[in-house]
Amino acid sequence: MSVINFLQILHDSQLGTALRESLYMFPIVEGTHLIGLAVSVGLILLTDLRLVGIFLKTVSVQDVLHQLRPWVLGGFAVTFATGILLIWAEGPKIWQIPVFPLKLTLIALSGLNALWFEFKYGRTVAEWGVQAEFPKGAKLAGWVSLASWSAVIVCGRLIPYLDARSL
Amino acid sequence: MSTQALFHSLQISTFATDLGKLNPLYGALAQLFHIAGLLLILSAILLVNLRLLGAGLQRQSVPQLVKATNPLIWYGLILVALSGLYTFLPAADLYYHNPAFWTKILLLLLALLIQFTLYRKVTVSKSPNHTLAKVTALLSLTLWFGVAFAGRAIGFV
Repeated sequence: MSVINFLQILHDSQLGTALRESLYMFPIVEGTHLIGLAVSVGLILLTDLRLVGIFLKTVSVQDVLHQLRPWVLGGFAVTFATGILLIWAEGPKIWQIPVFPLKLTLIALSGLNALWFEFKYGRTVAEWGVQAEFPKGAKLAGWVSLASWSAVIVCGRLIPYLDARSL
Repeated sequence: MSTQALFHSLQISTFATDLGKLNPLYGALAQLFHIAGLLLILSAILLVNLRLLGAGLQRQSVPQLVKATNPLIWYGLILVALSGLYTFLPAADLYYHNPAFWTKILLLLLALLIQFTLYRKVTVSKSPNHTLAKVTALLSLTLWFGVAFAGRAIGFV
């Protein structure tokens, strides 16, 4: 079964139809998606800025990473769940806007970058986090994260614009 | 002049009609700046308010966090104001009839009011009254995130 067929099944399901037809559900899901991403991506961007040495320089990088993590993960859960609902309702239409698969690819890239950082540097942050100069790789992960998450937001915001163009 | 008439005269002003004639790509660009500014404001106030709630960067003093985040809030406010006006002016009549727009404006005014009164008062102190700090944080978070939520609803109502 192709992606588009699968999305069509979701689209035609009871939940998909109910979401599209409800006066309130759609703006609520969209609004919650935005709030979840402001919490998760917002705090990640602040963490990245700390990592590359632009923001909160007097705050320990270990504190920034660990104390904000529950909020980052919680925000993600909300963004992910509402994102799934949006796909459920409008998948076939959204899938055909090239910027959407691009957005998914960038999310995967951002996730891999975060995992790589976590395994390579996350566990030893107590050691390198107190030094004046952070390891090059850790800073690079910060820059990659800044760029890729920003690109995710840009792609997401452009979905309705490119949609209107293709109609 | 009524608000409705004011909105209409804004929309038909030379400035607004000139803006409206620009390439629609600039409109999409304005939306990107709008969300960038929004993210700056929300992440900055979230960082400070989580600290006030006792759930964020606990080892930093509140004034220290405020000093670091205030520039982000200002840059964010400039970005959302300019991109917001760009979007609003050429279509003012449309916004006048949109209940989500008015909810957003009301929440925004309240958020700014809290920002320059309670929030400022609580965050200059190294050890603010715990209850007042928590009430301020909850109010500030509810209002600012409410602005974003209502803003997102404008296109759907």
